[in-house]
Amino acid sequence: MTHPPPQASRLEQIYALSLRLYPGRFRVAHAQEMRQTFSDALRDSTLFRRTLIHLVLRDLAISLAKEHLAMLRDTYARPALVFNALVLAGLATVLALALYAIPQQVLRQGANDPQIQLAGDLVAKLEQGATPTEAVPAGSVDMARSLSPFVIAYDDFGHPLASQAQLDGSTPAPPVGVFDYVRQHGEERVSWRPRPGVRIAAIVQRVGGAHAGFVLAGRSLREVEAREEQVEQMAGLAWAVMLGLIVLGTAGYGWCTRPKSA
Amino acid sequence: MYIRSMGTQTAPTAPLSPAVFAILLSLAEGEKTGSPATGRGRWGGKHGYLIMKDALAPQGGGVHLGPGTLYGSLERMMRDGLVEESGISDDERRRYYRLTSSGHAALSTELERLDAAVASARSLGLIPHGVR
Repeated sequence: MTHPPPQASRLEQIYALSLRLYPGRFRVAHAQEMRQTFSDALRDSTLFRRTLIHLVLRDLAISLAKEHLAMLRDTYARPALVFNALVLAGLATVLALALYAIPQQVLRQGANDPQIQLAGDLVAKLEQGATPTEAVPAGSVDMARSLSPFVIAYDDFGHPLASQAQLDGSTPAPPVGVFDYVRQHGEERVSWRPRPGVRIAAIVQRVGGAHAGFVLAGRSLREVEAREEQVEQMAGLAWAVMLGLIVLGTAGYGWCTRPKSA
Repeated sequence: MYIRSMGTQTAPTAPLSPAVFAILLSLAEGEKTGSPATGRGRWGGKHGYLIMKDALAPQGGGVHLGPGTLYGSLERMMRDGLVEESGISDDERRRYYRLTSSGHAALSTELERLDAAVASARSLGLIPHGVR
């Protein structure tokens, strides 16, 4: 950094100070010339001082913005730097998605555990000759409120025969397509929404023998979905933190390795 | 700074910014008149304030070039090979600049472009009588 000469006028001193606002590299390269140019202009009797001050103020505003933008572009808009940052951001995004998807799947699959056993037990009883009324345990589970698992027996057309659970006073049935699928494949595991606001982790199995039909074992997904939401928030937070670190790291690295000639 | 033009066959470059045009014009004018020089044989170029003053004059385009814009433009023009430092100076606080062959070519292209535009305006009767 150069200093104004002792004989410099106050205006020259102020202008010299204002040059500190330019990016360092630009200042080192041009401050001396700029001060000289300003001094030449001040000493030019053909140029009105008011015109000069207006011109210089306008120039400061425009060129400061321009040179700082150029400095930022030269520092950070290097292809290698941007490419590295994008790759890291991509990896962070994949990692955050995995942080969400893996626990979400574990939670969701875990929500089926008791129903698999309940459905299997009920199918075995019905195929051994028990009637649906005998085989389905007594009880009344409110599907909209209770977290307890429940079972429902349906006939071969999908009409409920016996149920351990009720929703708004009746026994709902899953879509016909579910029964069609189970007819062909023996079992289906679905997230069933009997009405808005109620989601059930349901296992539907085929029943053979004298009481051919279907059994459904279900359980509310309310708590599981609350945990999935927590996982989603944690994964989102981790993603934001990783992206923040990448931005900070890229900015720091870009600044430390900025081209000296730029 | 210079973007390849699209759709024209005669102009290889996009229109120059007023600052760049004024600087090229000032340096070209210096070469023609040969002033001011350092008096050491070859024309030594012009320093910043002379360029700034030329640009401000009506014949230089009436462009208000402050020192920041001037030296920022000169730096980019040097990077693009349009101007160069003459290396001759009578004062260590001043650097002198002159056109390169690319600078001459860019100025010629711009002048041809402007000339064609003026001719077109004249043929359409958009330029008042008495204006040359």
